[in-house]
Parts: sequence; structure tokens; C-alpha cells
Amino acid sequence: MDTATHMLRTGRRGPLFEVNMALRDVRASLQRIGLAWSLAKHDIVSRYRGSIIGPFWITLSMGLMVAGIGLLNARLFQVSLHDFIPFVAMGIVFFGVISGIVNEGCDTFVQAAGMLSQTSLPMFTFVWRTVFRNAINLAHNLVIIVAVLIYFGYWRTMNLPVAALGLVFLFVNAAWAGMLAAIASARFRDIPQIVISVMQFAMFMTPVFWLPARLGANHAFLLFNPFFHMLDAVRAPLMGQEVAPHTYSFLALMAVVGWALTFAVFTRTRRRIVHYL
Amino acid sequence: MSHPVSISVSDLSIRFPVYGVDAKSLKKHLARVTVGGRLGSSMAGATEVRALSKLNLELRAGDRLGLIGHNGSGKTTLLRALSGAYEPDEGMIDIHGHIAALLDLGLGIDPSATGYDNIRLRGRIAGLSAKEIELKMDEIAEFTGLGPFLAMPVKTYSAGMQARLAFAAATAVEADVLLMDEWIAVGDADIQKLAHKRLLNLVERAGILVLASHDLDLLRLYCNKVMRLEGGVASPVTDIRKLAELMAA
Repeated sequence: MDTATHMLRTGRRGPLFEVNMALRDVRASLQRIGLAWSLAKHDIVSRYRGSIIGPFWITLSMGLMVAGIGLLNARLFQVSLHDFIPFVAMGIVFFGVISGIVNEGCDTFVQAAGMLSQTSLPMFTFVWRTVFRNAINLAHNLVIIVAVLIYFGYWRTMNLPVAALGLVFLFVNAAWAGMLAAIASARFRDIPQIVISVMQFAMFMTPVFWLPARLGANHAFLLFNPFFHMLDAVRAPLMGQEVAPHTYSFLALMAVVGWALTFAVFTRTRRRIVHYL
Repeated sequence: MSHPVSISVSDLSIRFPVYGVDAKSLKKHLARVTVGGRLGSSMAGATEVRALSKLNLELRAGDRLGLIGHNGSGKTTLLRALSGAYEPDEGMIDIHGHIAALLDLGLGIDPSATGYDNIRLRGRIAGLSAKEIELKMDEIAEFTGLGPFLAMPVKTYSAGMQARLAFAAATAVEADVLLMDEWIAVGDADIQKLAHKRLLNLVERAGILVLASHDLDLLRLYCNKVMRLEGGVASPVTDIRKLAELMAA
């Protein structure tokens, strides 16, 4: 009987070999990207199984949150609803994507322990699964964003490509952070708690619920806040504002440095991750 | 490139770092780093267990290998290494053929999803595309013998029914190499017969079976070769008819 499938596993053969093996994991995960998608879809479906409106609970609870915080904060900060509601809606939704990928990233490998310990599935498959799951969540929340933008008169179709570019930057950066969180959490069980605290802290330090203008445009809190740049790259274009060039260079640099670091950590720990679990 | 089904393992060593509660705590880890050195052996991080050492194994199409050995002798570690989950620390594993590992029948089974959904999920994990699964669905459904129950959540199934579903889904892929950790212990005579049938099918297609078990009669029934593991060290592969001598050794 003939077959085309072949599996070769060897011991360490030097750093270059390890890099190659890590790259092969990434490649294999991309070749079977459909599997990550199926797993993500299954996660969403099973989370809302048996509920009447299903995944639209995501939309509903987000809508409630946006309405509540939008109305309250607009009054507290004495800004017009017209400016503030779209701002806060996008802030909450897009920050939710970042914190979702990073926080759930902590569970990525721990949750997949069963599969990792008896199949040769690529590790990255599970990272993409977490990313896709949050992308599906985002898709449900986009309904709110679109509705709010149209209602308050911010909708400009020509702004979409720039916002999409920002969204790509957001996902690329959140993905490496999620992967790093996944490896670290598998090894050290304190990490998920730390990550959750940090993300919560970051949410309040980042202009999600408050307007950056109140702080002064070039405050260090904004200039060096990666979350602000990720948010602003998507939010500003949709609000009809320009994205500062500094934001793009910051995000690009962060993506390169972040992925290099993550990939280096993955190369070193790849063989061990399954034993951490 | 096509190549006949084969398993080739040379000088395989797997060391198992045991990350105890201590090693998993970041505080202890940081304390070690900041204090600047190892504070005695109890703090020295992960202890390593040698799970397999210098194992050699050559299997060709039609070989059915039984693995025997005490608990902790390395049988499961070897199976997991063959499944591609554990990376060798030394040596090499070279397998031609599609591998199906039935180490844990519960793999990828979501109790609140229906039987059909679980077959889809399990099939996707095993490497089938969504389309291929739909094409095979009738055949798998028939094979499970669960009929209308397939539309119900798996959590309503009995243990035997779950085993049926899992076994059918896991072996739905035309596997060339079947890895099993203990024979399916649950279920009635029917599922045992079912498993038997699938296995014979595999053997007829000249695949390879690696079965770890403590049940010598079972090994005599299904295997034609046997290997004994003792503390991670393997005996040479011998004919199943010499099982008694191997056990006495």
C-alpha cells in the first residue's frame, strides 16, 4: 500500500534546525488553517448551545454596555453624545478583541492539552483558534459599530480601507501577545492571573472610556501605550480623524519585535510545551 | 512521493521533565533567579525522568506489535512519541503512513454537542476536510450503529455508546498506522466485534498496529510481534509465539 503521508521527528540538531522546526509548525498550521477555523466555530457554537438567540448574546450584552457607559460617561465628562457614543462603542469593542485574544491566549494550550498530547497537530493551530474565536466575536459586535456610526452620521465608506489596515495591525500584535501568554501560562500557572490584572489595568489607562484629548494630545500615557495605538489605528479612521504616523511606526515596530521575541521563545520551548501541560 | 507503510525508530530517548507544583510557581522560579543561583537540589527546577532510552524499532506493513510492560514502563510515552505529540530528545522517529492514535477515546469529544457534530469535529482533527466528512458521514453513522441517537447530545449516551461513537469517528480516516493504548474496555460484545472488524480491515490493507496492553490473551489474538518495555528500556522485537519466554525473562 502506498501513502504520501510522512512524519519525521528527531532530537535536537542545533539552533538552526530548531528554528526550521518552529517554522515548519507555523507552515503546517497555515496549511490546515481550516481546522483552526472549525475549532473556533465549534467553540462559539458550544458556548451558546441551547440559548435562544445564541451568539447574538455577544451583540446584545455589548450593546447594553455601550449604551450604559456611553450615556453615563458622556454626562460625567460633559461631552456630546454625538461624539462620545461612537468613540466609546469602538473603544469597548476593539479593546475587547485585544484583551480577548490575550486573556484567552492563556488558555490556548492548557485547554488543548488532550489534543496536543496525542496528535501531531501544529501548536500554532491552537493560537489561530483563539484568534479566530475572537474574530467571530468581533463580527457579532460589528453590528453595533455599524449601527452607531450610521446613526451618528460618521459612516464614510472611503474610511473603511484605512480602518481595515488598522485592524490588521491590531490582530497581528494581539496574536503574538496571545501566543506568548499561551506558552508562559502553560509553564507558569501564575501567568493567567497576572495577564488578567494587567489587561484590566490597561483598559482603564487607555482611552477606552475617556477621551484622549482630555489628557493632552502628546502625553506619555498615550505615546507609549501600545493599546492606545492599536485602538486608535482602527478607531480614528472610522471617526473621520487621521491616524498619527507615529502610531503606524509604533505598531509596525511592535509587531516585528513582538513576533521576533515570541518566535524565539517558541523555538526554545516548542519541544517542551506538551510536557508543561 | 509514495512509500510503503513503515515505522522506523532509532536510538529514541525521551526525557520527561516533571514540573512539580514548585516548578510551576513563578514565585519560586523568580526567587531562584533573583537570589542568583540554585538553592540546593530541591529548588533546582524540573526533575527529569528518563521515560525511554535508546529504543530501536523497525516495523513494516502487516506488522502488529504488542507492547507489554508494567505501569510506567514507557508504553504510553512510546505511543505518544509515535503519534507525533512527544518530540524525541535524542534519536529519530520516521513514519510513513497516515497515523491514527486511539490513545484516549474522549479526544475532541464535546459532551454537549450531538453525535453528528462530534463526528465532524473528530474528523476535522484527524485531518479530513469538511467536505470529505459529509461524504463519509453516512458510512460512519452506520458504523456507529447509533441510528437516531446521533442527533442527540453525546452527554445523553451511555459509556458504551460513547465508546462506539469515538471509535467510529477516530477510525473513520483510512489510517495506515493505528496506535492503541489498551483495547477498548467499555461496551458490549457488539462494540468489541465492531472494533475487531475494523482492525481486521486495517490488517488486510496491510497497515501497522501498535497495541499496548496488559492482557496477554488479547495480544496473542491481535498481534504477531511483541516488545517488552522495562523502565524505558525495550527488549528486542520478538515473535508473539515467544511471549511466554519474554515474560519469564
